[in-house]
Amino acid sequence: MVRQRALSPAARLLLAALLDAGPGWTHGYELSRSAGIKSGTLYPLLIRLEGQGYLEAEWRPSAEPGRPPRHAYRLTEAGRRLALAHASERCSALAGDLRETIA
Amino acid sequence: MIARCVHGLARLIVGLAGFILPASAADWGRAMADEVGRMARAGEALRFALGCLLCAVREAFGAFAGAPAGADLDGGGERDVPADPAPAAPRPLLVACAAAAVLLGLGHMSVGGAPATMMLMNLIALALGLLLISTATMLRAMLPAPDPRTLSLLLALLLLAATLGGVTVDGATRWIRLGGLSIQPSLILLPLILLCFARSPSPASLLAILVSTVTFALQPDRAMAGALAAGLLGLALLRPGRVTFLALSVATMGFVATLAQPDVQPAMPFVDRILSTAFQVHPMAGVAVVGGALLLVVPGLRALSGPIDGRPLGAVFVATWAAIVGAAALGNYPTPLVGYGGSAILGYLACLWGLPRTAALSGRVPLGGGSSALDDDYHLLSLALKD
Repeated sequence: MVRQRALSPAARLLLAALLDAGPGWTHGYELSRSAGIKSGTLYPLLIRLEGQGYLEAEWRPSAEPGRPPRHAYRLTEAGRRLALAHASERCSALAGDLRETIA
Repeated sequence: MIARCVHGLARLIVGLAGFILPASAADWGRAMADEVGRMARAGEALRFALGCLLCAVREAFGAFAGAPAGADLDGGGERDVPADPAPAAPRPLLVACAAAAVLLGLGHMSVGGAPATMMLMNLIALALGLLLISTATMLRAMLPAPDPRTLSLLLALLLLAATLGGVTVDGATRWIRLGGLSIQPSLILLPLILLCFARSPSPASLLAILVSTVTFALQPDRAMAGALAAGLLGLALLRPGRVTFLALSVATMGFVATLAQPDVQPAMPFVDRILSTAFQVHPMAGVAVVGGALLLVVPGLRALSGPIDGRPLGAVFVATWAAIVGAAALGNYPTPLVGYGGSAILGYLACLWGLPRTAALSGRVPLGGGSSALDDDYHLLSLALKD
């Protein structure tokens, strides 16, 4: 029996950052800053997320005219569900903590 | 000024990361280089690049160990690990072969009492070679891949120019003086010319072989003429074709022409004939030199045992470097990497850079779906197979 483990804190932060970015495309440096994780952690996670079908990664035309295409990322539908599931899990845990504190 | 230097360093580091990354993650290497190139603040770019290098090393060793690419999403522990259908060639292993050969050679030189400057020069050449391949990888992330047909001709003309304007010693013109250093361009350029030919035989690359043949016959240089013929023989055995046979015939005639001329070069200590003389220094020094020389063909053997498309390049690599080592055993020619001389170190590392990445040639789609230099590799090899 394979047991599903909880996501690492860095993976949670990255999923939350990708969820915040919404359906639009985002980039490596922006994600590193918004998720607060270093590139050495960011890219292995992005590679794994993409490999598991949670992330779309493609070369998109640059927003700045005359610049070459840029590697861009966004969550797939499966990725959104995963991120939302972990977000709601975290909300439930926070709500539970809050109830305990009030009581 | 300092900021520009730091930014340049960051670009080099991220280029090295791109070189180290397994083929399956090559697109990610380009993405990292692109991000660093867009960063305005040099310090931040350097930190980002160092993180990318860390990521690349992890990925490469993960691929070598057969682990799936990417970091764990979870905190660790039990879970299904899908098997990687085509593990990528571990670039660090290839670089380690070169570094180990150089270090074994340094061991021999140290035991034999070679001047410290010789050992230092070999170490500098190794560092410079690594810097060059990281720069080339970085440029490859930003610029389109060069056409191997044009490149081979350009390299052959450079070889000819270096010979025509080079330094003559004891009747042979094989060297150029650059910043006080004596460089043998053939050891750097010939392996690359052969790899370009193997990637794409064409009238232009055939002309490059002809120019190289004439150059070695003029010098004369039996070792390089023999290596040229050997590399083409390796290619012809694995991928016979009209253009390849024509090139092989031309190169063989050139080799015969060099054999007909006297070989006037005396042996230089710690450079020539060291495969036999190292054992006279110390048995362990001899083992180090022979072991280092054997290591040189390992990267080519890996390509030979890899996907079918990359095997011709592996054959060229093995045959060329084995011939250069063989020539050093039989005549007064430099023993690459294990002997003193930076040209062979630079040429060997450049040659490693030209080898295919296993996974890309097995038909895996690069991550991200965009076009990449690896697509170009695959395309060029497809063209080469039409020979």
